[in-house]
Amino acid sequence: MLLPALTPDWSGPVFRYVLEHGLPFTLKIAGTSVVGSAVIGIVLGTLLTIRFLPLRGLIRLYIEVWRGLPLIVTLFLIVYALPQTTFHLTFRPWVGAAIGLTLWGSAQVAEATRGAVESIPREQHEAASALGFGWVGRHVHVVLPQALRRLLPPLVSLLVNVIQNTTLAALVSVTEVLFAAKQQVERLAAPPPAGLLQQHGFAIYAAVLVFFFVVSFPMTRLAAYLERRLI
Amino acid sequence: MRPLPNLMSLLASFEWSFIWDNRDEFLHGLWKTLQVSLIAIAGAFAVGVVLGAGRAHRIPVLSQLAAIYVEVIRNTPILVQVYFVYFGLSEPPFNIRLTAFTAGWLTLVVWGGAFNTENFRAGFEAVPYRYREAGLALGFGRLKTFLNVTLPIGGRIALPSSINTYVSVLKNSALIGPAISLPELTYQAYSLESVSFRATEIYFTLAVIYLVVVWVLSGLIRALEAWLALPEAKRVRTRQQRLWQAV
Repeated sequence: MLLPALTPDWSGPVFRYVLEHGLPFTLKIAGTSVVGSAVIGIVLGTLLTIRFLPLRGLIRLYIEVWRGLPLIVTLFLIVYALPQTTFHLTFRPWVGAAIGLTLWGSAQVAEATRGAVESIPREQHEAASALGFGWVGRHVHVVLPQALRRLLPPLVSLLVNVIQNTTLAALVSVTEVLFAAKQQVERLAAPPPAGLLQQHGFAIYAAVLVFFFVVSFPMTRLAAYLERRLI
Repeated sequence: MRPLPNLMSLLASFEWSFIWDNRDEFLHGLWKTLQVSLIAIAGAFAVGVVLGAGRAHRIPVLSQLAAIYVEVIRNTPILVQVYFVYFGLSEPPFNIRLTAFTAGWLTLVVWGGAFNTENFRAGFEAVPYRYREAGLALGFGRLKTFLNVTLPIGGRIALPSSINTYVSVLKNSALIGPAISLPELTYQAYSLESVSFRATEIYFTLAVIYLVVVWVLSGLIRALEAWLALPEAKRVRTRQQRLWQAV
């Protein structure tokens, strides 16, 4: 009884279009940038604990720039400005969006990693050194596995934020979920051969909101749970 | 192979006079950004204090509604929210047509208000219960106790996190511009680029303006924070933290 009310005739093609054309890009961007952010962020955050001022200054600058810039400005820089520099760097739009999200996400992770690594007691470093580990071995085998426990909640939150921020790719014309939904709203509003001359923006954007809520809510709960459990 | 140009020659190859000739576009955009942000920050502050108090004092109904509101806003992308407010609400069944300016600040108030509700809830809950008891014992009513005891103390505890929210509100105004054609700073840059194709100069300038605004704001915030900090909190501040602020 409820199902026909929730799925009127016009909704079938809309759903199919958004899931088949929009969702793959959302997943590609989110997957690439989460992995990229985690790897780059953990490396930079660990390097940030070394007491060597020029290196620290450089990483600080990286973090402050990409955290300070609105994400959309970073995306415009990468997608529109980089191709015009003398380097002529051109990316496919979704790759550009993924790079932008990675720069921003890795800055977040680096900051969290610094805190997590610094929270590991000095004795752990000393014990590892006494066992003959060098700087890399000490961090890879002893310090980071322990820091990772503290890093888990921020990483889950990062995943949520990255998924939500993939929608910004719509503003650089990547056909991700939101952009696909917008195309469908505009198609339905068009006159018959293409559309139905109907306005369904309210329902479609509400459905996109519900989609992101359903994906994000369990993960924010998980992050909160991990935070209580692990720290 | 063509030798790679270094960064200095890259910057020198820009036509900076173009930016100077179009400075009015940037200034108007910046002014609009500040307008939207200030309205949104004031609104988010009000929403945050009222709903945060409702949450912290477990006021029935209001507290539950505020909790749902916070979860919905925090778990949905702000870009979808602004599309919903600007493109969704203007259609049946509601037919509420908002100007881009109104839709912009309204979305930012709703978004910032949700984050601020959490900030202020945490702040108010951190006020020791005995302080409120003391207020009540002095003959203040519940509202007066809140205004004279919980708000000044809890508000200061919530200050750093709420100010982070305000900076995010300003940064989010940047995506609202291009999304709904609200002529704030980013939209101005975007439309200037679409007629001149000087993407590098324009977006480089745009990035510098935002960094200056955000960094200056963060610096002011740190100063304000130190000035308003509770006497107890000042002592906890370690040398390490001061070092980080210097870098």
